[in-house]
Amino acid sequence: MGFGKFLARRILQGVFVVWGVVTVVFFLRFLTPGDPTATLLPPDAGEAVRQRLREQLGLDQPVHIQYIDYLTDIAMLDFGLSMREGRPVGELILVRLPATLELAIAATIVAVVIAIPLGVISARRRHEPADHGATLFSLVGISTPNFWLGIVLIMFIAVRVGFLPVGGRSVNLTQVVTMLADGQPQYLGRWLGQLILPSIALGTYFTALITRLTRSGMLEELGKAYVKACRAKGLPEALVLYKHVLRNTLIPIVTVLGLQLGTLIGGAVITEEVFAWPGLGSFLIRRITLRDWTAIQGTIIVIGIGFVIINILVDSTYAYLDPRVVDE
Amino acid sequence: MARETKLRVEGLKTRFFTEEGQVNAVEGVSFEVAEGEVFGIVGESGSGKSVTALSVMDLVDAPGRVVDGEVWFRSPALADRVGEEIPEAVDGELVDLRRLDARERRALRGAEFSTIFQDPMSSFNPSITVGEQIAEAVEVQRRARANPRSVRSRTQGYGLSSFVVDSLLPTREYVHRPSRDRAIELLELVGIPDPAERAGEYPHQFSGGMLQRAMIAQALAGEPSVLVADEPTTALDVTIQAQVLDLLAELQAETGMTTVLITHNLGVIARMCDRVGVMYAGEIVERGTLEDVFDEPVHPYTQGLIGSIPDLEGSHQRLEPIPGNVPSLLDAEMDDRCYFADRCPKAMHECLEKPPDFAVDDLHAAKCYLARHDYDEADALPEGYFDA
Amino acid sequence: MIPDRVRASLKRELRTSLLAKVGIVLVVSIFVLATFAPFFAPHDPTTQRVGVGGTEAQSNLPPLGFSQEVQRVSPQGTETVYVNATAEFPLGTNTQGQDILSRLIYGARVSLLVGLLGAGLAVIVGVPWGLVAGYFGGRLDDGLMRGADVMLAFPSLVLAIALVGVFRDSGFHTTRIPDPFVLAAQSETIPNVLIPRSDHVASMPESFVFPVTVTLVVALVNWVWFARVARGEAISVRTEEYVKAARSIGASDVTILRQHVLPNSVTPIIVLATIQVAAIILLESALSFLGFSGTDLTWGADIADGRGDQRSQWWIATMPGLAIVLAVVGVNLVGDWLRDALDPSIEGEGGV
Repeated sequence: MGFGKFLARRILQGVFVVWGVVTVVFFLRFLTPGDPTATLLPPDAGEAVRQRLREQLGLDQPVHIQYIDYLTDIAMLDFGLSMREGRPVGELILVRLPATLELAIAATIVAVVIAIPLGVISARRRHEPADHGATLFSLVGISTPNFWLGIVLIMFIAVRVGFLPVGGRSVNLTQVVTMLADGQPQYLGRWLGQLILPSIALGTYFTALITRLTRSGMLEELGKAYVKACRAKGLPEALVLYKHVLRNTLIPIVTVLGLQLGTLIGGAVITEEVFAWPGLGSFLIRRITLRDWTAIQGTIIVIGIGFVIINILVDSTYAYLDPRVVDE
Repeated sequence: MARETKLRVEGLKTRFFTEEGQVNAVEGVSFEVAEGEVFGIVGESGSGKSVTALSVMDLVDAPGRVVDGEVWFRSPALADRVGEEIPEAVDGELVDLRRLDARERRALRGAEFSTIFQDPMSSFNPSITVGEQIAEAVEVQRRARANPRSVRSRTQGYGLSSFVVDSLLPTREYVHRPSRDRAIELLELVGIPDPAERAGEYPHQFSGGMLQRAMIAQALAGEPSVLVADEPTTALDVTIQAQVLDLLAELQAETGMTTVLITHNLGVIARMCDRVGVMYAGEIVERGTLEDVFDEPVHPYTQGLIGSIPDLEGSHQRLEPIPGNVPSLLDAEMDDRCYFADRCPKAMHECLEKPPDFAVDDLHAAKCYLARHDYDEADALPEGYFDA
Repeated sequence: MIPDRVRASLKRELRTSLLAKVGIVLVVSIFVLATFAPFFAPHDPTTQRVGVGGTEAQSNLPPLGFSQEVQRVSPQGTETVYVNATAEFPLGTNTQGQDILSRLIYGARVSLLVGLLGAGLAVIVGVPWGLVAGYFGGRLDDGLMRGADVMLAFPSLVLAIALVGVFRDSGFHTTRIPDPFVLAAQSETIPNVLIPRSDHVASMPESFVFPVTVTLVVALVNWVWFARVARGEAISVRTEEYVKAARSIGASDVTILRQHVLPNSVTPIIVLATIQVAAIILLESALSFLGFSGTDLTWGADIADGRGDQRSQWWIATMPGLAIVLAVVGVNLVGDWLRDALDPSIEGEGGV
């Protein structure tokens, strides 16, 4: 089977999962106690007004009609109007999406850049002080709540030392690029500065997790017969270690990371809240407090879709790294 | 005509320091292999023959370690270079590899010593094409010739930075074009049809026999002077075994490589080897020419081993398995005696003291008192002596 | 009940691993502290000491060893005060003057209870689901597992936040659980000599708030993992000879599932459950940090509480976080110990 066919099958599965997500989200609304019009109208609004609103929203239709309508709307990427602001939910989400992506990508980079070398060192110097240090770090790292880590970083680094901003996202990437073109590189520094603490807070769990996985994966791979064969043919140790062992170690790591991306997205939600980062996560939390159901539904669906897309990307990377996957 | 010694191993000891205790996998092994000769090491599984091969190649991993012994290797060029720095490591044209530093020894792998491993499926990296893996073996020697110094450097001319650059720039690769072409030639040499196409395939797309041929091609890549073949046919079907052995014999005759062949199969030994050593419990208990060992075995273990092969010609020889098991090799459980005494039909009181190597004649030696005198029934150990 | 071989490998692993010992000590001590909170907590965790009604102001006291100078703004202007830590409040007090140590001990109750009950519920739902899917296979398997996979498409925290958002308006969001030790100490029928420090215990809160929705939600986002593991085990056991033999002598599917398939899945499920308890403690702390759990006597809520005062009263938010780290490290270490000792793939096929 070719790679194209593999990808097509994965995408089809992805579409199925997205459909499942939309269905769950749709029925979630029926679990909500109370009348949806109660949040939209003042408490003293008359029954006639309420009835008219229900008709407007299609809430008087039978459930299956509402469900089909909802599916069609979502398929057209129409997430409806915010119950609080009356603005299209899709628009509200789109404004906040780049901030979340920026944070998640930065955290992933932090994690990968630190964790993989750390895991390699740990495996190579097994039972030496460097290994014990790395093991301890990864143990504490996977056990630390990221919101608390964020607060500690803010308290001790941003507030006490006064180094790096306490939160917020004063500059976005577009501004940085425009200003760079204008010859004002200081915006780049500000942009990086505002990203550092949030991405450490969000990335620490992943750094710890990947360190752990890299270490145990490397140790497992190093015990395999082909490593001995590589050494027997005189390959430089670095080549054996990276091109052969590390590459094969990354295969299971990519899979686990795919499964753990949910934690990254969930972690981003709460990290955004801690650092007042104007992304999807803080948006979702705020909308839950406001009981803005259309916005909540839209955000969850978008996060679900994002999750599915990332998983397809992960699976493709996996197929690229391990040629046996495509053949199965 | 006596050929010159290519490899001489003396008193090699390898230990594994495991949680269960110290394991004496190789217990003072000595043997000599002449230039262009095929030397066989035969023994049951767990007798330490593979570890002996790995110890010679310096490929023993933790928790194992070669703790003692000498590995003398004939190489005038190496002797010249090392002579001044480490005079005690050089004896004429022979060099004691155990006294060289790790970098020097590493540089010999592939170039002077090559290995064929038992299971081709697990000895190739599953996620890299076979051609690429063979080309790597060619490339490393190509680079060594171009820049001999770099191979003995700490990084062997390749570090993390090279890897990062190689991975990021699609135009840069460790393996260069000529090496790839050479890999295809090598595949053709070992009789793989459509070598250019097969070079681009992954190990799981090969059959066991084809992959073992590919491993032989890989072992030839550096044009080594010594080939260590560790159970080269054990993992293969019987019909394929014969083909691979023929190929090995043919290539050995062509290149004149000194070969150490390790196997538990006496048929393979009989077919391939000039001289043979029989291993038991980490020791070579008997060694000699093929005729010495097969026709006039001295050690009761060798006799039992020869007795245990069914005769292919269909003569009346009976199949006689040796009763009992190979000892555990755990240091704590090894008494200082002939390790075979507890399974030996001719064990005597003498055997409770460790027998030295007794010369039977010029090339034939055995670690057994029977090489000195005949079996004396009056001196026999009572039955069940070791059961207590 | 535990096979000898398992017991032996657990012991061997415990003997060789220092980390396993540390983990067990942590988990057991936190468990004991949480269970007998009224005995160990030095103060009532809810008592406020803000200097009204005759009590001296004891808010914002630093932990022992961190006495410090503080700028205080009063109507008379700014003054510099030296605040001494006292042994009465070893970890300091928060803005309302509540004892932080006592709050941590009581907070452990909620965290552990949610962790254990949440993982327990997830096992009760997930294991039968996975066993049935794996054992019967075919269409039923496809249907059950596809449904389960949809749950995995939601990041667990996002799903949990959404579900808590939905259910927090319901009547069962929280419930008050009476504290048996305090009731016993207060009651006339049980002689006080049976209860150590009975006067102290009697002064503790009579009940504590337990977040029902949060427990249900963490179970809901976690059960799929158990279903997947149980299914894998059921598939591998289904083809075993003894299962075929049992079927051939006419054992019903339910009997086979209960007597043969379930016992084989116990080991991986116990290991997974341990890891999930750690994950649930983290998830619960996140939810209560966001204020969705309905109780303020939890580690997460205390972190949120201390968040506002970041410059000088760093301990208010730091201490509960350290408690979370210790608890989760402990549970993770126990999980590692169980995995290393029980995992048959590490043990080797026939055992050594």
